[in-house]
Amino acid sequence: MVCLACFGNSATRARIKINVRGVYFSVALNNKYNKFEMAGRGRGGKTGTLTAEQLQALGCVGKDMPQVQTAPPPTFPPVLNKPIALETTAVQNYQLLWKEDFLNRMRDSPYYIISASQELQKTELKDWREKAVERLKHKALPEFNYKAMPRELNTTHRKRRGVDAKPKILAKKTNIEDRLKVLEQKELKTSGDNDTDEVKVKQESDSDHEDEDQEDPEAALDDEMDEENDYGNSYFDNGEAYNEEDDNLDDGPVY
Amino acid sequence: MSADYARLSSVVLEQCFGKVVQSVAECLFAASTRTLSQIATATNLTRKEAGLALAVLIKFRLVSFKASTGNPFLPEYSLKREDVICLLRYSRYIHLVQTKYGNVGASIAEELLNAGSETANGLLLKCLVNAENKTENAESYRDTFLRMIGDHYIIKMPELTTGDDQDDCVPKFLTNECDFFGPPNIDLQLLAKIRKGEASLADATNSIVWGMNYDRFHQEFRDTVMVDAIERKLGENAAECFRYILKLMYCNTDPWQRRVSNHITFVQLKQAIEKQSNNLDLMKHLDQYITLLADDSLGFLRKVGDMGSGQYVVDLEKSFESLAFACVEAVITERFGSKAARIFRVIRMKKYIEQEDLQKEAMIPSKEAKSLAYNLFQEQFIHVKVIKKPGGGGTGPAKSFYLFQIKSKDTVRMLLDTCFKALYNTIERSNFEKSEHKGLIEKSQRLDSIVEAMKERGESEDYIAEIAETFTPPEVEILNKVKNRIKTLSKAELTLDDTIFLLQMYQHHCTTLPTGITKFK
Repeated sequence: MVCLACFGNSATRARIKINVRGVYFSVALNNKYNKFEMAGRGRGGKTGTLTAEQLQALGCVGKDMPQVQTAPPPTFPPVLNKPIALETTAVQNYQLLWKEDFLNRMRDSPYYIISASQELQKTELKDWREKAVERLKHKALPEFNYKAMPRELNTTHRKRRGVDAKPKILAKKTNIEDRLKVLEQKELKTSGDNDTDEVKVKQESDSDHEDEDQEDPEAALDDEMDEENDYGNSYFDNGEAYNEEDDNLDDGPVY
Repeated sequence: MSADYARLSSVVLEQCFGKVVQSVAECLFAASTRTLSQIATATNLTRKEAGLALAVLIKFRLVSFKASTGNPFLPEYSLKREDVICLLRYSRYIHLVQTKYGNVGASIAEELLNAGSETANGLLLKCLVNAENKTENAESYRDTFLRMIGDHYIIKMPELTTGDDQDDCVPKFLTNECDFFGPPNIDLQLLAKIRKGEASLADATNSIVWGMNYDRFHQEFRDTVMVDAIERKLGENAAECFRYILKLMYCNTDPWQRRVSNHITFVQLKQAIEKQSNNLDLMKHLDQYITLLADDSLGFLRKVGDMGSGQYVVDLEKSFESLAFACVEAVITERFGSKAARIFRVIRMKKYIEQEDLQKEAMIPSKEAKSLAYNLFQEQFIHVKVIKKPGGGGTGPAKSFYLFQIKSKDTVRMLLDTCFKALYNTIERSNFEKSEHKGLIEKSQRLDSIVEAMKERGESEDYIAEIAETFTPPEVEILNKVKNRIKTLSKAELTLDDTIFLLQMYQHHCTTLPTGITKFK
């Protein structure tokens, strides 16, 4: 028989006396964690699964001993007691309808995200009718307050690295015929003046060359090629310099 | 947080936000905090997709972020794990708002839940666009919105602080507890202009964001659980009396105080009831109802003094212990039978009991008692305490005594995990049924829409019946079966959530475990 008596002399710690078959045990009760700690020698062991000896002590002898389970239990074991049927109330019906409606709305909302690969798989599986319906459906754009989110999440207005540093020179679209005429006139002009002042022409041609660089699309493209860009054109090797210099590799080590 | 809860939250997020958000949330669930790059690597998603999923989760207040301790320019994200289950309770929130504020309130709450969080102007504008054909005007929407804020069902989200470049990388927010429920200025004229297209939403200066205060709803559900229990046991008048006690309790106590409330005097209660109630019977026998409540074994109300004609406290710890264990006993009765429930009650009453004494106390034949006790032990409803006594003089073999006991917290946690697992299984089974009979369900939906369109066009009944007959009787039979199965599963989801809520309340009020429940969420 077990009887409990609490001798609480402090608010947090108290001792309990347990009488088991005439033997008294003193157990400390820690109120804070509601844990029992044995006093003195003989602390309580694990209280997980029981050994055969422990089960015998509990009264399970011979046929009463439960069989040891070695395999996992069946996935769908038979139900011993049939569960009672749930009552349907008006409140439940309202909640069920609303929930179904909510999930459908969420599925059509822009916040239901499908990755590109999943989208591709989905479209492959769909027939022409479903695809037509999908095309008719236009998902609204998601509304995010990106000011209240970390900057890295804002994918709509992301600045590209190096855009501010140096804008790229783009080739202008020009009318080729007009351009040829202008160049012809220039050529004629320069040939006329050639006799008068050769030095002046040289200076002019230098200055013109600068202008042409800005106007001529090909020149602009060449310039772009000369500049260091992502494709690393400056590292291009046409093979002409091959075997010209040996980088002093044959000279042996330098001490 | 258990593995069962992890699986449940994953499937709930998949239902609402799709697979990308699900994988991001799974990744966050496994760790306390993660950066965007870590998430993208772990989930095999592109950085853009992972970022979008995080933006969705932040908008729906399921993920929080803060600057990394090592690098203040690098944000770290963490999942609000305990809030994921709130997604399952949205229908309950809406129903509560519907009963309190009518259709206007329900449509406001619905829009707010659909958007996660929203500015007052944006929210009211959406409601007004949706309610174009209805009689409600903008003023009624504004007034209901303000009432909902006043009753703390809607809460102001922390305000953004503007500052240096670091704040731009990882925004910081200013939380002011005193200003969570300050009413906003809503300009109805501006709203009307926006609707006409004469102004844009960006013109509105008020950029405060509002969201649902989930724990205010949970407070209401908790009160309902307690009041309903009293109504079932002690009748309507006692339930009404307890409702007034709870009202008084909230005047001087934090609603989420864990153990007991602050003191309430009988005089205070009497004055409140006389002022607000029309129930003459309750007024006449108030002292008797109070004594009944205080003496009841449920232990909801406890007398602590005689000041003011009697001083009482609401014992939340005792009340949720009683309710949770009533639930545990009901589960045992359904699973193992009433005799097992009797064994459980005997062990709970005696605290520690030996096998031999157990069968005598429960008055059950020894073989049956052993078998039932073993089943209960195997399913972890009861536990065994081993007490060893050394042999004579410390030299002999130790004598051991095995006592049955109930570790209440462990039992409740085990049952809670079982509920999470059952809820996960229910949702999965429901999804399976839907995907298995997808073709049939879609065919019936298409047919319904065709029939509806034909009715609108005024086609003849015979022709409509002919079209409807394309759905063969065996197909109709299968469809009805599937629909019934899905409905039963959905009902089970609601009922399971009720049990989960009760057990979570037990964990909040009877343990010191962190439950994430606060006054302001």
